[in-house]
Amino acid sequence: MIKQNAIPTIIHQVKGFQWPNIGQLLGAAALPIVGIVVFLGLWSLMAKNIDTSLGQFPGPAAVWEQTTTLVDEHNAQMDKADKFYERQEIRNAARVAKDPSYQPKIRAFTGAPTFFQQIWTSLYTVMVGFIVASLIAIPLGIVCGLSKNAYTAINPLIQLFKPVSPLAWLPLVTMVVSAVYVSSDPMFSKSFITSAVTVALCCLWPTLINTAVGVSSIDKDLLNVSKVLRLNALSHVTTIVLPSSIPAIFTGLRLSLGIGWMVLIAAEMLAQNPGLGKFVWDEFQNGSSESLARIMVAVLTIGLIGFILDRVMLVIQRKVSWDKNAVLR
Amino acid sequence: MKDNQMKNTPHLELTQVGIDFPTPKGPFTALQNVNLKIKKGEFISLIGHSGCGKSTVLNIVAGLYQATTGGVILDSKEVNEPGPERAVVFQNHSLLPWLSAYKNVELAVKQTQKGRSKKEIKEWVEHNLELVHMSHAADKLPAEISGGMKQRVGIARALAMEPKVLLMDEPFGALDALTRAHLQDSVMEIHAELGNTVIMITHDVDEAVLLSDRIVMMTNGPEATIGEILPIELERPRNRIALADDPKYNHYRSEVLKFLYEKQRKVESVSEHKAKKVQDKNTKETDVA
Amino acid sequence: MANNKLMNTLKHAVKTLRVGMVSAVITSAFISANVSAEEIGYAEKEELKFGFIKLTDMAPLAVAYEKGFFEEEGLYVTLEAQANWKVLLDRVIDGQLDGAHMLAGQPLGATIGYGTKADIITAFSMDLNGNAITVSNDIWAQMKKHVPHEGGKPVHPIKADALKPVVDDYKSKGKPFKMGMVFPVSTHNYELRYWLAAGGIHPGYYAPHKGDTSGQISAEALLSVTPPPQMPATMEAGTIYGYCVGEPWNQQAVFKGIGVPVVTDYEIWKDNPEKVFGVSKTWAEKNPNTHIRVVKAMIRAAMWLDENNNANRPEAVKILAKSQYVGADYEVIANSMTGTFEYEKGDKRDVPDFNVFFRYNATYPFYSDAIWYLTQMRRWGQISEPKSDSWYKDIAKQVYRPDIYAQAAKSLIAEGKAKASEFPEFASETGFKSPQKHFIDNIVYDGSQPNAYLDKFAIGLKNDSKL
Repeated sequence: MIKQNAIPTIIHQVKGFQWPNIGQLLGAAALPIVGIVVFLGLWSLMAKNIDTSLGQFPGPAAVWEQTTTLVDEHNAQMDKADKFYERQEIRNAARVAKDPSYQPKIRAFTGAPTFFQQIWTSLYTVMVGFIVASLIAIPLGIVCGLSKNAYTAINPLIQLFKPVSPLAWLPLVTMVVSAVYVSSDPMFSKSFITSAVTVALCCLWPTLINTAVGVSSIDKDLLNVSKVLRLNALSHVTTIVLPSSIPAIFTGLRLSLGIGWMVLIAAEMLAQNPGLGKFVWDEFQNGSSESLARIMVAVLTIGLIGFILDRVMLVIQRKVSWDKNAVLR
Repeated sequence: MKDNQMKNTPHLELTQVGIDFPTPKGPFTALQNVNLKIKKGEFISLIGHSGCGKSTVLNIVAGLYQATTGGVILDSKEVNEPGPERAVVFQNHSLLPWLSAYKNVELAVKQTQKGRSKKEIKEWVEHNLELVHMSHAADKLPAEISGGMKQRVGIARALAMEPKVLLMDEPFGALDALTRAHLQDSVMEIHAELGNTVIMITHDVDEAVLLSDRIVMMTNGPEATIGEILPIELERPRNRIALADDPKYNHYRSEVLKFLYEKQRKVESVSEHKAKKVQDKNTKETDVA
Repeated sequence: MANNKLMNTLKHAVKTLRVGMVSAVITSAFISANVSAEEIGYAEKEELKFGFIKLTDMAPLAVAYEKGFFEEEGLYVTLEAQANWKVLLDRVIDGQLDGAHMLAGQPLGATIGYGTKADIITAFSMDLNGNAITVSNDIWAQMKKHVPHEGGKPVHPIKADALKPVVDDYKSKGKPFKMGMVFPVSTHNYELRYWLAAGGIHPGYYAPHKGDTSGQISAEALLSVTPPPQMPATMEAGTIYGYCVGEPWNQQAVFKGIGVPVVTDYEIWKDNPEKVFGVSKTWAEKNPNTHIRVVKAMIRAAMWLDENNNANRPEAVKILAKSQYVGADYEVIANSMTGTFEYEKGDKRDVPDFNVFFRYNATYPFYSDAIWYLTQMRRWGQISEPKSDSWYKDIAKQVYRPDIYAQAAKSLIAEGKAKASEFPEFASETGFKSPQKHFIDNIVYDGSQPNAYLDKFAIGLKNDSKL
């Protein structure tokens, strides 16, 4: 009797214990998977029905195939680079044998950058532009937030430049960089500077505005605390202003990074500067039957990287911000 | 002791204090002709309807506002800027949310008592947290403790500055009744121990009578000023339960109520009423959190 | 810095002398003492970046890189595709590129200040022929009625006479007839204009002195600029009805089924000079050895491309099909590169000389080639003032540098990598080809008399005319 009773009870308990868990799992993992599966299905269905002059629009299978091709191409290029360096060493040795005073020098591989190298170039460029912009925008935003006069003075400029499409800057930046950045042995290439400056110009505004708003909307009581404690300007900024505006600053930073990433791709396409944008443009120009699939790989990669960048910023924000309860998404 | 102090020259003196706020329609006179002499160690409550300028008086004493006319003198020195000798306990605790209770107090100590060694600072911070019974939560962030506890830390921070005058702006307004009672008891204890001069703003008649040496009742604004001053001559230490049936206590209570609801009866407009309701609601939510 | 440079130069000179003397001693028994004179010093600049446009005639650059010819000259070259001809030229001018695959008209245009003014020179002509004119399917359907047929197939060369009624029809309906070319000073612009004008269709004048650089003054066919790789897409979008461009963008139109190539430039002017390898004059003066070594590598690449009757072409096509070079499909590039050309879909004909990289002295920078481009600039008003015959020669000599080419070729001959018979006789070569007859309108071109040549055209500015 007791046993008979016990078993259904246990089962019941087990069931009662597991059901909500499965429900949670469904919500957490299965729903996105369903979303992706439906998307892939629709994509391949639509792809079959779109005929371009470069052949059928690539479906998931074609894109996956090109992804592996790009990996293969990368590996092949790396092999080529190894051989390039071997040949160079032999050639250097021969020249030293002929002319002992010659200082052998290793030149970087001259082959075309692979897809993955282009990704790295873009990431590096966007980070540099973003960091430069942030180093300018955050202090400036703090000044604007603290001083109504500074804000009134700078605000018209912000409003004027904020809506300017980054691509309108590009020709100006290109010409200015060409004219100003003159060096016989440049540390960075001009194209890199151009891209980074363009990114920085566009990353400036969201961070600047959000920082200014964050700083100017600090709880009045906290400002009074600072006054009662007679904090000097520097400790006022470091102990009160910065910590309390960190959520706002990060909102701006995330917006900026997102914009910067989009801008960079467009700028690379337009200016033919190295990076993912150039990869897309080159493939478009190639017009081979594989081009569309390769562009699609790049499009998905761009999206994925944009997503990862945002998540990374979110993690940093969670780490740095005191407001752990804030809903961040 | 107390009588002696009372005969001394005033410790804190407000003379003909008035303040105008600029508005698009011209200056708005919020306060005028406020005259008040406060003795060292005295506990003063400011009571009045909302908008009567209680907070403005407090802010002028704190130095956060500048009086348009008249002035404030503390220990023979004119007040014209904020400073730690006039520590403020704000209504919404105003702790720095990113610092622990300990660090919040420490910031005040480090800033106001620069001569102290590291060890002395630590001891002083711990002492003040002890005073408000918050030692157990020293390492908690403000978000992790209740509203009453936050306010205790806020008081500890203010006390740690060793102020000549402690200014409290409706310190318990946002708390539920039970927590409020606990804190009132704590404030009485601390006041008995340290003998600070205190100016407290309150809406709560019982609180005013229970805590104060004098209750300063303010007329309604604009051009608000002091209506009446009611000395509370109840023996200290005071016990809220014993006082509940004390006829003197009840007399004081009714005096204040009469002032507020007969002499200074205020008809709130609908919008103000609504605004107040919203505020009450927010207050409740804070309590729950 | 300056001291260092001086020291380097001194060391260099000593080194060259020593090497020269040693080699002279060793080899004097076998080869004339000339060799030491032909010994080229080490490259002044070893890491180079060259630009190109995605066209099959960039092949010498890709081949010189892939086959290691650059490296054998001690050059570490990076090849970089450029967005369009203007960007490419600007980058050569401002030094971002050390040199580039250029339109023959670009160094000339830049030197005379049409467009961006800059001193650009060339010592290497990259190829002959290689372009074609393509029209959209719709235009072809209208044109085809007027094209003579033989055995069911259109008779080539197709003249613009067949297009004339179509253009007239558009004109009477008040619709502009629009075509694309790749750059105002491009071969394609002049070839398209030549073909149209030969068929009685006015392609329009330029008037830079009046600020009009549209090239559409009194035009019956309106020509505008489109970068080569975008030609097919632009025509597909209906923005232009036809275009003149290099390969693979004509064959691409056939493959995509959006247009029909009607005439190759080989038929407009047999063995016409096409792209050149251009560098800025200051760069060339700073890096003389490098320049010669680049030309050496490219001559070898051109030889390789034409070797054994185009035997290496399939391999070249494989190289060009890589995405970093031309990137189009193998079949598309192979169509023209391996000696055939597909006109209407399925109408594939042998054109063995569609792309010539080396034979017929294709790589030698002839003054007469430069002068032909200058005459066309004058003919269509890009040069607004009348010029004397000697002016044409002076400009050609400023821009075209057979002296550098000769040094490179002689060095290759000395190294045994090429035979003297494969090059013009350098001692006697004047740089002027004998009068050329094979033009679609049968007008003879004599490079030594540019003004007399201009007078022969029915459409176009004459010697003394001015807009």
